[in-house]
Amino acid sequence: MSLADQRRRHLQHFAGFVPLAWRNLVANKPRLIRSTGGIGFAVLLMLMQLGFESAFFNASLELIRLFDGDLFLQSAAKYRFATREPFPAADLDMARRAAGVASAWPLYADWHDVFWKNPFDGKSSMVRVLGIDPAHPVLHLPQLDVAPAKLNALDSVAIDRRARRFLGMSRDPKEAELNGRKVHVVGSFALGPDFENDGTVLVGEQTFAQLLPNPAGGPPEVELGVLKLRPDSDLAGVQRALAASLPAKIAVLTKAQLLELERKFQADVSSAGPIFAMGTLVGFIVGMLISYQIIFTDLSEQMPQYATMKAMGYRTRYLVRVVLEQAGLSAVLGWVPACLVAIVLFHIVGNIALLPLHMTVKIAALSFVLTLGMCLISAVLAVRRVIAADPAEVF
Amino acid sequence: MALAWRILSYDKGRTALAVAGVFMAILLVFVQLGFFIAVPQGGMLLYDKMNFDLLIASTGYEYQAQPGQFAKSALDRARAVPQVAEAAALYFGQAKWQSGEDGKAPDVFVIGFDPHSHIFAVDDINRQAGVLERPDTLLVDTATRQMFGPLTTGRIVTIDRRIMAIGGDYVLGTGFMGLGVILVSEPNFVRLFPYRSLDQVNLGAVLLKSGADPAEAAGALRQALGSDIQVFTRPQLERQETAYWTTRTSVGLLFGSGLLVAFVVGIMVVYQVLATQVSRQLPQFATLKAVGYRDRFFGGTVVVMSLLIVLAGFVPALLAAAGVYSVIREETLLPVTMTGMRIGAVFVATLLMAGFSALLSMGGLRRADPADIF
Repeated sequence: MSLADQRRRHLQHFAGFVPLAWRNLVANKPRLIRSTGGIGFAVLLMLMQLGFESAFFNASLELIRLFDGDLFLQSAAKYRFATREPFPAADLDMARRAAGVASAWPLYADWHDVFWKNPFDGKSSMVRVLGIDPAHPVLHLPQLDVAPAKLNALDSVAIDRRARRFLGMSRDPKEAELNGRKVHVVGSFALGPDFENDGTVLVGEQTFAQLLPNPAGGPPEVELGVLKLRPDSDLAGVQRALAASLPAKIAVLTKAQLLELERKFQADVSSAGPIFAMGTLVGFIVGMLISYQIIFTDLSEQMPQYATMKAMGYRTRYLVRVVLEQAGLSAVLGWVPACLVAIVLFHIVGNIALLPLHMTVKIAALSFVLTLGMCLISAVLAVRRVIAADPAEVF
Repeated sequence: MALAWRILSYDKGRTALAVAGVFMAILLVFVQLGFFIAVPQGGMLLYDKMNFDLLIASTGYEYQAQPGQFAKSALDRARAVPQVAEAAALYFGQAKWQSGEDGKAPDVFVIGFDPHSHIFAVDDINRQAGVLERPDTLLVDTATRQMFGPLTTGRIVTIDRRIMAIGGDYVLGTGFMGLGVILVSEPNFVRLFPYRSLDQVNLGAVLLKSGADPAEAAGALRQALGSDIQVFTRPQLERQETAYWTTRTSVGLLFGSGLLVAFVVGIMVVYQVLATQVSRQLPQFATLKAVGYRDRFFGGTVVVMSLLIVLAGFVPALLAAAGVYSVIREETLLPVTMTGMRIGAVFVATLLMAGFSALLSMGGLRRADPADIF
């Protein structure tokens, strides 16, 4: 082992793994704040775009997630959840008697035919109506503050207190009108609007039948059949058997399939995906430019130091590693505050816009990977300077 | 000025990088602004392609796809108003297109009108007025989604259990009317919706005699039609639609906050660039200070530098944004256009960006102490 090697080992041991990168970073406090701010804002931009995108898709999936069932029946012609395509109640009765099925209860729903009259200003607006059999509610509406059985009484309704404010549902009305019918508000829940529905009203089977009578007479037709299976039954087997025994115009779906159908529809028809993906990309590029700028400046300023270390016998590989470590550290330093600010912003914007804007592990992880990526790529681009550092030139 | 230019041209690579950053930021502002303004205008798409001076609607009118309805007799009363040349009825309905791909039945927006009324300023539609008169025949918008299956002329489709023929297509755009839009004549409209009567219309399109003042005529119409009917001039209609989409839905907030973030990111980028330049030239600035130049001089130099960078980024960003707009326009048929107003607004935003960042980076300069450096 040569003397130079020994010294290098000693020095590397002394410098440790991260400290040099860390010291470089904190050597100039104003610059540190500036670079953290710059990277942080780029990260915030990406986070906002990622958050909006997931809120957009989640808003339409939120209701489906609330259904309490193992298998679901709906018309095979249904191309998305929020469109009326009911099927005869007799088909649901048939499914209830099938082997392996413990229970099968209906959800009635309508999106485009019921108008809610705001009791405070008299304005009518379209609302989503969900109908249940009060004895067998098929969904868990968040924070529902009334026993479903109360909806048995004709014209008793529960309303969404997170509905868009112009509907007046958040102001605790006692009476209102649906399609000209006087209804009594017996309770409320906190669901929230999505991109197409401003508010939701929950009613019992009887009230639903009065609001939207079955043109063929008899009980209302079913929008979604919610099935629970016996504990020991095989999901795929029951699904196959049901699909075979029910008419072809009924689709038998698992919850995952139901969600996938909706997600695919939203992705296919809306331009939300590309719009937000583009925003994220712009954040990435801006972040890359900023961090390149920072690393490049930093390297130019410390060129004498790097050259000195080179002259002392440090390998280029080690110096490159220091630069990359430094980039990684600034990524973390920019990401952490941006993430915290984003959590606050999501909360505020989510409450104002009544959107399901949440910081999820997925968004956090994805934004972190992007941040790290943009900092490392710009470090790789900037590090050529170090490789070229010539001790002889510096002094 | 000369000093600012020298500093910037001294290190061309760095300046190019700075301009690239500013370019991205301004482009982002343009695109977000484009969405912010254009998305609400999706509701104006149909109106922009229609011939009318005033629009009559029920007081229940919310936005184009939820217009409410009123008695057709109101149109007769409107025709009796002296300034009115013509008043045509428009019927809207929602039906199931039961011939979609994979057995799906997507919702289709149905517009019923008198094919000879020339309500639409679309050649394809007026040319095919005769086709619309055939029983159970429809024209389909070319922007109708793929899930509706092929839109070929002559194809037989089932709509709300009724067998109809596609008689042709036209280019208008579906806007916020839904995934697919079809046009039918009035008789075919009631065949499709047997529970609807032609006596209840959704909208009335009024053409005025030449020379009549729309605002004045609107007043006369309001007098003649009574309180359960509203009359929109074109500017009023645009305000109504835009207000609906920006305030009632999340669209405004979504792109509004995008706009804000883009602006802040722009400030950060320019500031970053300026601060770097200033700190790199600190010895030189300090020397100038020692020689007797005042802080004001440096302030001016930094402001000029930031303006130069921002202007250099603005021009290519404007060109790129025009390109992005035309892509969006083709994809969505939304009226995303580069107007003088928009250019002006972004330009002002850009100057603000430059100003803020110059202000931020001035701090380091003021602290520059000749004694520290040497």
